[in-house]
Amino acid sequence: MPNFQRIRSLLFYLSLFLFITGLPFIIAFSLGYKFNARTFKFSKTGLIYVKTQPEGARIYLNGKLMPENTPASIYELVSGVYKIVLELPGHYPWKGEVDVEAGRALRLDKIILFPLRPDLQQLNREKFSTFRIDAEKRMIYYLDQEGKVVYRSDLDGINFVDCASLPDKFAQITGWGISADKKKMFIFSLHQIGVVFFDAEADHDYSDAAILLDYPKEKIIDVFWHSDNYHLIVLTNKHVGVIESRPRAVPVNLVSLNNEEAYAFYDAKEDALYFSDGQKGPGGVFYNNLYKLRLNTDLYLLGIIRKKANE
Amino acid sequence: MNRTVFLKRILEIIPGGLSWGIIITLVLLSILHPVASAIVIITFDFYWIIRTVYLTTLLILAHHRLAEEKNRDWIRSCLELPADKDFKRMYQLIIFPVYSEGLEVLRPSLTSLSASNYLKENFIVVMAFEERNPASRKIAAILEKEFGSRFGAYLSTFHPDGLLQESRTKGANATWAAKAAKGYIDSKNIAYDHVIVSCFDADTCVDREYFGCLSYHFLTSDKPHQASYQPMPVYNNNIWQAPSFARLIEISSSFCQLIESMRLEKFVTFSSHSMSFKTLVEIDYWPTNMISDDSVIYWKGYLHYNGDYRVIPLYITVSMDVAYSSNILKTMVVQYKQKRRWAWGVENFPFVVEGFIKNKNIPVFKKIRRSFHLLESHVTWAVWAVILAVIGYLPVFFGGAFFNQTAIAYNLPKIAGLLFKSTILTSLIWIFLSWTILPKRPKGVSWLKNIVLVLEWFFVPFIILIIGSFPAIDAQTRLMFARYMEFNPTLKGNRVV
Repeated sequence: MPNFQRIRSLLFYLSLFLFITGLPFIIAFSLGYKFNARTFKFSKTGLIYVKTQPEGARIYLNGKLMPENTPASIYELVSGVYKIVLELPGHYPWKGEVDVEAGRALRLDKIILFPLRPDLQQLNREKFSTFRIDAEKRMIYYLDQEGKVVYRSDLDGINFVDCASLPDKFAQITGWGISADKKKMFIFSLHQIGVVFFDAEADHDYSDAAILLDYPKEKIIDVFWHSDNYHLIVLTNKHVGVIESRPRAVPVNLVSLNNEEAYAFYDAKEDALYFSDGQKGPGGVFYNNLYKLRLNTDLYLLGIIRKKANE
Repeated sequence: MNRTVFLKRILEIIPGGLSWGIIITLVLLSILHPVASAIVIITFDFYWIIRTVYLTTLLILAHHRLAEEKNRDWIRSCLELPADKDFKRMYQLIIFPVYSEGLEVLRPSLTSLSASNYLKENFIVVMAFEERNPASRKIAAILEKEFGSRFGAYLSTFHPDGLLQESRTKGANATWAAKAAKGYIDSKNIAYDHVIVSCFDADTCVDREYFGCLSYHFLTSDKPHQASYQPMPVYNNNIWQAPSFARLIEISSSFCQLIESMRLEKFVTFSSHSMSFKTLVEIDYWPTNMISDDSVIYWKGYLHYNGDYRVIPLYITVSMDVAYSSNILKTMVVQYKQKRRWAWGVENFPFVVEGFIKNKNIPVFKKIRRSFHLLESHVTWAVWAVILAVIGYLPVFFGGAFFNQTAIAYNLPKIAGLLFKSTILTSLIWIFLSWTILPKRPKGVSWLKNIVLVLEWFFVPFIILIIGSFPAIDAQTRLMFARYMEFNPTLKGNRVV
């Protein structure tokens, strides 16, 4: 039977020896020191860490090819300026000069190597004027050049279909927006709003006739969908109002505006309209205020609006 | 406060004070001087890599010994001894201190005892019940009827509650039982030096060769009365049924014990163990007011024999229950409490140092060495997982932009990664060795469990955090503030509790 205690003693002293002799080197290495076996001295060095996107680029340091590709650490560099070239086939090379300091780690970890041939792809299959991206549903909506048809495709341009036709007698379209339920869209011109329903089956048989809502005496600046996908929030040069998306709906003006060039943003998550309006100060000077108009359905406001509209 | 009490309090504060001191110092250092902190952490990481490799090598050696002696016919070895070392004259006093364990735990223990190939007529079995447990008498009667005739003598004792200078500890019960057994031994005129006493946890199932192995070592060792005999505890009774979490911890505990068995100068009795009855009487039995009676009994022997007392490892297993409960959370609590109780072994430190101060016959070097070992093992237990898992990342966290541009900030995670890789390598060895000590898969347990047994080792980092340091910190902090623990036996049983 082997003498286990003797083996254990041997192992213990071996471990102790490794610890005592290895520790100075580990600490020195960690602090960036390089041991020179010839002079038996430590000298302080720096290091460069290079990471690229994509990985695997060749690293040239002062013209010399390094053994490792990115991501890689280049240790034991004496202080000074180094020229770095990163090369990856099929990509633009990255070139730069870096200043290495002793005892410090220089991290080049945000380098992107762009491909020589950009990954460019045409998505539209028809001519169009403007488009909207619905990142949540991963859809693209296109308004055709004549303002007659709405197309839809996924984010790669696949499944490109026309999903709605716009009313014939509609003036110059100044803006448009898709409802959150993706079933309809509005278009608007200076004095008219049109609500168009998408073809659910993509069979070119558009489901509902377009709804036209007229604003003959006011100039429409912007329109937004309320989160109920039924009401439209309308900003004109005179009012902030709401209108139902149904034929012969009557607009309800909630706020009268002083400034004809108001600007608005609608937060559909909170159903709140932020808009600016001018106010005349004591000295007769106009200045802008920013207002927040809550339109969430929890409030009784919409109930009042509906009631007023029905009257 | 008199001088003795003051000294005791100081000694009780030292382990917890050191552990907390190390943790707080390293946290502050990480904030105030991250470079210095990183150097300390890298030193500790490197130390831990070497220590892990060293201990794993010891584990392989110990496992090799266990495998080598596994199928040895110890009775035959005893029979081959010279006539003056006749094992047949040796009596085996076996004490099972019982707290609230039921028949489902006690029956297998006694069954394994009756299956032993040793001379059963030389067995004096004592089932040591607690008087305060209302079911004790009934259980005792059932067991006496079933097992009473299978051994040379069978006693049931009932330890009264609330005796003077006693705490509710296992040691108090075992001492009461040993004194009762002494009465029997005296009545039969059996010489104390012909009696080996084994104090087993209630769920301990012995190997059939255990008493042959024990007697052989007792009869062949130099100064047999100045030694304790430590079998290798494994937790095989319900290991196939226990959840991964608990199983891993217990396998690790078995391995730690195997490793300890290779470090004889540090080896201390743990859990189920055996010793000379003569010595037990001379050192006035187990402590009746300390929780860690299993290790204190060793130190009592060590002090009594002026440092000339040792633990002899027996490379034979005794099997116990894995402590677990009905769900993972409860199992974690059960395991945490069990490990905290083990960590309460830190109470040995004041006991031993006080003993060393009183004893003028033990060489000073030996006193310093043993005190240091004891203190170092408990402090390391309390801080290592915290340093590796938490403090190791603090310099980078608190270091700020300047520190994070230094070479050492860059290299610190690399060294930690190296530590992690070495841990994976040693884990693979532990996985393999754990397979070899498993009992045969019982019927009704799916073969898929074999795969689970390998995959569960990936929980190790998580488990290390839960049971690595926290129970030890908890125990040491309680001792620091003199919030002494009550004996809280681990709920065990083949059935889920």
